[in-house]
Amino acid sequence: MLFLSERKEVVMSREDLLNIVPLFILTSAAILILFSIAIKRNHKVIYVITALSLLADFIFLVTVDTPAKGIIEPLFIFDGFGKFNFGLILITALALTMLSYAYFEQREERKEEYYILLILATLGACTLVISKHFVSLFLGLEILSVSLYSMIAYLRKRKRSDEAGIKYLIMAAFSSAFMLFGMALIYYTTGSMEFGAIASYLAPFSKLPLLMIAGLGFLLIGIGFKLGVVPFHMWIADVYEGAPLPVTSFIATVSKGGIVILLVRFFLQINGHQYTSLVVIFSVVAIASMFIGNLLALQQQNIKRILAYSSISHMGYILVAFLAGGSLGIEAVAFYLVAYFITTVGAFGILTTLSDSQRDAELFDDVRGLFWRRPWTAAIFSAMLLSLAGVPLTAGFVGEFYIVAAGVQGNMWLLVIILVINSAIGLFYYIRIISIMSEKQEAIDRPEVTLKPSVYFISGITIAALVIALFWVGIFPDRLMTLIRFLIFS
Amino acid sequence: MNVIPAEYGLILASVLFTLGLVSLLIRRNIIFMLISVEIMLNAAGIAFIVAGSKWAQPDGQVMFIFILTMAAAEVSVGLALILQMYHQLKTLDSDAANKMKG
Repeated sequence: MLFLSERKEVVMSREDLLNIVPLFILTSAAILILFSIAIKRNHKVIYVITALSLLADFIFLVTVDTPAKGIIEPLFIFDGFGKFNFGLILITALALTMLSYAYFEQREERKEEYYILLILATLGACTLVISKHFVSLFLGLEILSVSLYSMIAYLRKRKRSDEAGIKYLIMAAFSSAFMLFGMALIYYTTGSMEFGAIASYLAPFSKLPLLMIAGLGFLLIGIGFKLGVVPFHMWIADVYEGAPLPVTSFIATVSKGGIVILLVRFFLQINGHQYTSLVVIFSVVAIASMFIGNLLALQQQNIKRILAYSSISHMGYILVAFLAGGSLGIEAVAFYLVAYFITTVGAFGILTTLSDSQRDAELFDDVRGLFWRRPWTAAIFSAMLLSLAGVPLTAGFVGEFYIVAAGVQGNMWLLVIILVINSAIGLFYYIRIISIMSEKQEAIDRPEVTLKPSVYFISGITIAALVIALFWVGIFPDRLMTLIRFLIFS
Repeated sequence: MNVIPAEYGLILASVLFTLGLVSLLIRRNIIFMLISVEIMLNAAGIAFIVAGSKWAQPDGQVMFIFILTMAAAEVSVGLALILQMYHQLKTLDSDAANKMKG
């Protein structure tokens, strides 16, 4: 580490150590599970260890008093923004662990390793949100992606899981290569891989040097692939469809969220808003993502694929907030991520509880007449879908409102208008799922669930908590706003 | 002794990267697709080493070691997945594996 630091003396203080303890906890949890599997395979024990370590990590992060801004030269920065998202990722991973238990309990395959991969992927995403150097960025991203390859193909007896795994592997490796080449070009130009030093190299230029433009372009292609924005969106639907449901929601939330945060941090640091070319590129990507995501979602017959395409358009919405910039823009990104995480985990969580041991509940037939069979489940699923559509009283609405406010403040009228048009288009396919759920059903041909109800109890509690969070954020958003503002500007 | 200009190294890296990219796009055998990705990753590695030597810093080489490590991890997972696929489909053709449409 010493020589990465631009010849500065590296001294790690007690505060620095306290700051990186959350990363240690995740790492040691993974090792602990590994040993625990070696001693005896027990799904319940592994599950409890995973949940407890994620919870302990979150509690540590929230309660232990560390200085508002800690920097570990040259790799990590622990500011309020990073810590907020660190916590958000931990909580999301915890909710996903809770939902995974019932899902994996009914499968034949070995289930225990899944939790190691889940924790490692979480570690990768957490590293991403606090990194301020290309090395930590790269390591975080690869820990995340390599764990995800195996998580996607985890249920290996299923037909589509290999296909999804290999597709994701080729796409992710391909995009990593682009990102690395971009980083190398940036390093070649600026002589540093640290965001701050790159920024200070670029500061005197009013126009970017040519190699720097190429480097940034490659880097953004890589990030675009990972985020799944148009024109790099072709893998999203297939991977969403082939992956097990908890993994799908992991990709949709933790993996994409971590990269969004990283993008925001990098872009703010190099002050990207002053370069017209970058802003134009991002605006085009945002507009294309919103339209293409929504229009393709309209044609799908599979709920997972609908949610996949809708996630493309949601990334477009986030880019609008990101482009608006300023403090309101960052707040909007953070707030929208919270709302989006709650909603997405909730929606996929409902599908998880509907799945049986053979396959995931992903077709329209699986939810047809759900209002008559399981009214509560159907009502919660509708609430989640309406939140994704941005209907008032839900978290999604406030998030979208926040983005519109940020966009108006940043004078991005075109983007704001397109966002509003698109949330109207989006409403259509969410309502379609709800109307299918309320159709009268003739005969039940699906086998009833055979698991003990106690297994579903955990999923039920998690989903109940998500619903409460959904409406709480939707009706009283000011608490969350104050928290975000306090953390970001402290 | 003449020193090779840093641009030459960068050009070499770009040529390798393009070769990898083109072969990834035209190959249909998954093993070859994996190899193409490796070529692209190593091209990025060369670019890092060139940049590191331009600035007389070891950072570029450090990054190269990281890239090697990550590429090894990626290939091991990738080959495991390819084995799985071969078991199920008895082919390595990526078009044959492309079943999901939408």
